[in-house]
Amino acid sequence: MTTSTVARDSFGVFGTTAVLLVTEAGALSQARALADAELAAVDLACSRFRPDSELTAVNAAGGAAVTVTEMFADLLAAALRAARLTDGDVDPTCGQALAGLGYDRDFAQVRAGGPASLGTVFGPVPGWRRVEFDQQVLRVRVPTGTQLDLGATAKAWASDHCAELIAGRLGCGVLVSLGGDLAVAGPVPDDGWRVRVTDDHAAGPEAPGQTVTITDGGLATSSTTVRTWTAGDRQVHHIIDPATGEPARSCWRTVSVAAGTCFDANTASTAAIIRGEAAAAWLDDAGLPARLVRPDGTVVTTAGWPADDDPAPSS
Amino acid sequence: MSGYDWRHAAARRDDGVRTVTRFTWRAGVAGVLCSAIIGLAFGHHADTQTAHQHQQGILVPNQPPRPGHGAGQVTSGAT
Repeated sequence: MTTSTVARDSFGVFGTTAVLLVTEAGALSQARALADAELAAVDLACSRFRPDSELTAVNAAGGAAVTVTEMFADLLAAALRAARLTDGDVDPTCGQALAGLGYDRDFAQVRAGGPASLGTVFGPVPGWRRVEFDQQVLRVRVPTGTQLDLGATAKAWASDHCAELIAGRLGCGVLVSLGGDLAVAGPVPDDGWRVRVTDDHAAGPEAPGQTVTITDGGLATSSTTVRTWTAGDRQVHHIIDPATGEPARSCWRTVSVAAGTCFDANTASTAAIIRGEAAAAWLDDAGLPARLVRPDGTVVTTAGWPADDDPAPSS
Repeated sequence: MSGYDWRHAAARRDDGVRTVTRFTWRAGVAGVLCSAIIGLAFGHHADTQTAHQHQQGILVPNQPPRPGHGAGQVTSGAT
């Protein structure tokens, strides 16, 4: 524990907002520089919208094997681990499905562009098992027509790595939040890290929801209510059910999970949206504290998540 | 043919049968022992694999979230 004052920085990254908190005010600028470098490397590795990214090269290889950097390999290995841990509910081969819904450029452009045309016939995504990947020799091959999308996992992976990097190099306590997926590392403030859990990460610190404190690991929230746009005559969102290739039709509007890492929290919260009603028992069995919110605002909690004394309002 | 020692031949045959029987038993016992050793080895390996896989499941936090009060230092919501 530390009694130091928490210093804060906030900046845009990955089309969303990053928040950086450190327990040593004098370490903030160095922490920011470390985060900037790490996030730039992650973006170059796995942005779906950058023509110079490794992900673009892999997706455009026409079924040929591609040599990748260690960072891309780590990101892909993590994405495949998420798929394995969730029996494929969090699948990195959803790129084509997202593009077919019109999400084929930065989200701000998608939203600004007005209704997108539906450019796909829905169906199951190719599936993570079709990705040929040798992490030892850094070679990846995806079948022709399969498009990887690491967006579901890369943000959380980057939160973990930035937090570990900053705490390791600077020795201070740190919280890194990338679009609401947050990781903590190093010494913890006396009363823990205070987090407002709500539907939209861009909402203010007193937005409807619940305030909790965490001391380790990560916390992530997935929701069907925020990253939405119009495709054809439908309102769609970005969490794809791999079994159908369509936006998941979930009984939860928002799921927040605390886990040993931000990556694992994000994996579980995304899978919970897709699993629907069965998710609460799955999270409970896994010992994962979670807060699941139904469209009418009803809250269900699992595995020691504190009682919700400030119910979320109806959407 | 009259000089052929039938009794000696029968004794040699019986010795051979006993030798084959003895080797068959020894091979059988050795097989059982090897099976037991392999079973123990693989059984232990299976336990190890299960534990390893369990460790590689979704990691739970050391402490679950605790109730907090007032505004958050940061917001966790969807992007």
